[in-house]
Amino acid sequence: MLKAIAARDEAALAQLYDRYRVILFGLLMRILNNREEAEDVLQEVFLQVWRKAEDFDENRGRPFTWLVTLGRSRGIDRLRTLAARDRVAEAGAREAVEEISDAATDAFKSEQRGLVSKALAQLPDEQKRPLMLAYFDGLTQSEIATHLGTPLGTVKTRMRTGLMNLREQLAGKGESFGF
Amino acid sequence: MVHDDYKEMIPAHALSALDAAEEQALNEHLENCAECRKELEDWQATAAALSLTPDPAEPSPQVRERILSEVRKDLSPSEPEVIPFRSTSKRNIWSSFGSLGAIAAVVLFAALCIGLAVLWRQNKELERSKEFVELVKTPGARVSELSGTEPGRSATAKLAYDRTGRAILMASKLPSVPQGKAYQLWFIVGNKPPMPGKTFVPDSAGNAVLKDEMPREAIDANVFAITVEPERGSTSPTSPIYLRSF
Repeated sequence: MLKAIAARDEAALAQLYDRYRVILFGLLMRILNNREEAEDVLQEVFLQVWRKAEDFDENRGRPFTWLVTLGRSRGIDRLRTLAARDRVAEAGAREAVEEISDAATDAFKSEQRGLVSKALAQLPDEQKRPLMLAYFDGLTQSEIATHLGTPLGTVKTRMRTGLMNLREQLAGKGESFGF
Repeated sequence: MVHDDYKEMIPAHALSALDAAEEQALNEHLENCAECRKELEDWQATAAALSLTPDPAEPSPQVRERILSEVRKDLSPSEPEVIPFRSTSKRNIWSSFGSLGAIAAVVLFAALCIGLAVLWRQNKELERSKEFVELVKTPGARVSELSGTEPGRSATAKLAYDRTGRAILMASKLPSVPQGKAYQLWFIVGNKPPMPGKTFVPDSAGNAVLKDEMPREAIDANVFAITVEPERGSTSPTSPIYLRSF
C-alpha cells in the first residue's frame, strides 16, 4: 500500500487512512487529550505519509511500525508545543470519543490490543510507569526521574528492563500483530 | 562512549526518552553503525505495540476530506514559485519586468544551488542540501533568507517550504548555545503571536539543518525568526531574535 502511495495513488492513501485511523486517532487522543489538536495532527501525519511514503523501506520494518512511530512522534511534538497548556486540569475530563463504526471495528484488531494489554499488565508497575510516561506523555528519562522522585539511573534501568520484558511477552506474536 | 554504551541507550531512544545530549550522541553513532540501526528498528517495533493500548477513537469525517483535498491539490500541477530573499517589494519589481523576473528567479535558484554546494561540503551535508533543493523545486515552494541580528550577527539561514507545510531550514555560523538551551524557529503571520517551530542545536562549526512541518496557519507567514529557548522549546519567544527574515 505504501508503494502505491509513493507512486501518488490517492486511493491507496484513502485506504490506508480507513484502515488505521481509529488506532492512530486513539493514540493521538491519548497523547493530546484534545479532539481538535488530535485531528489536526492526524491530518498532518497522513499528509506526511503522502509525502514520505517513498522513504519507507520494507526491509527495515513493518508499515504499521513506521506509521505508528510517525504518528506518535508528531503527537509528542505537538504535545511539547502545547506544553504551556495545563493538561492536569484536562486530565480529569477526558473528551468523549465517538462510537466506533462497524467498518472501523473490523479494521481494528481488538484481539491484538488485548494481547498487548495483557503483556503490559504482566509488568511490575515500577517498570510500566516509566514506559507509559515516555510513550504517551513524551517525558524524557530525567523528567520521569523528577516526576516519580526516583534516581535517574534507576529509571533508566527500569525503562530498559520494562521494554525488554514487553518484547519477550510479545515474542513470536509479531507476525499476527502486523508489526 | 563505546558501542555497548550506545546499544544500552537504544530502548530509551525508541521511546524518544533520551535527554537532548544523549540523543544527539546516539544519533551520531547510529549514522555509522548498521547494527545499532537494526537494533533501533526492533525496539521501535516493540514500542509501537503500546499504540494499541489506548481506546480506539473515531475522528470526524472532515479529517479524511481535508487530507484528500490537500492531496488533490498536490497532484495538480502548478508552476514553482521562488520568492526573492528579503522583501516583497522586490517581487513586485520583478513581476513588473515580466520575463526578466523569471530569468532572475532562475539565476537566483542556480546561485542558491551553488551556494548550498559550497556551504555543505561533506557527503552527509550534501545529502541534506539535495533534500533542500528538491523541496525548492516542488510546485509552490518558497525560499526565505534569514539574517543574523545583533546577538547572532554573523549567522545566516535559508528556509525552504512548500504549501503542504514541509519546511527545511539550513543555517550556518550560528553562535553556540548554552547548556540546556537550543535555537527555535518561529512563524509569524501579520500581527498575530509567533507560532512555534522545532528546536535545534548547531554542530561545533555552527551549522544546522532542521526539518520541520509548518502549522497550517503558518503557510502564509511573512516573517520567520529564530530565538534561543530552553531545549524543549517555548510556546512564545523568551529571548531576543537571533535571526529573522525581512
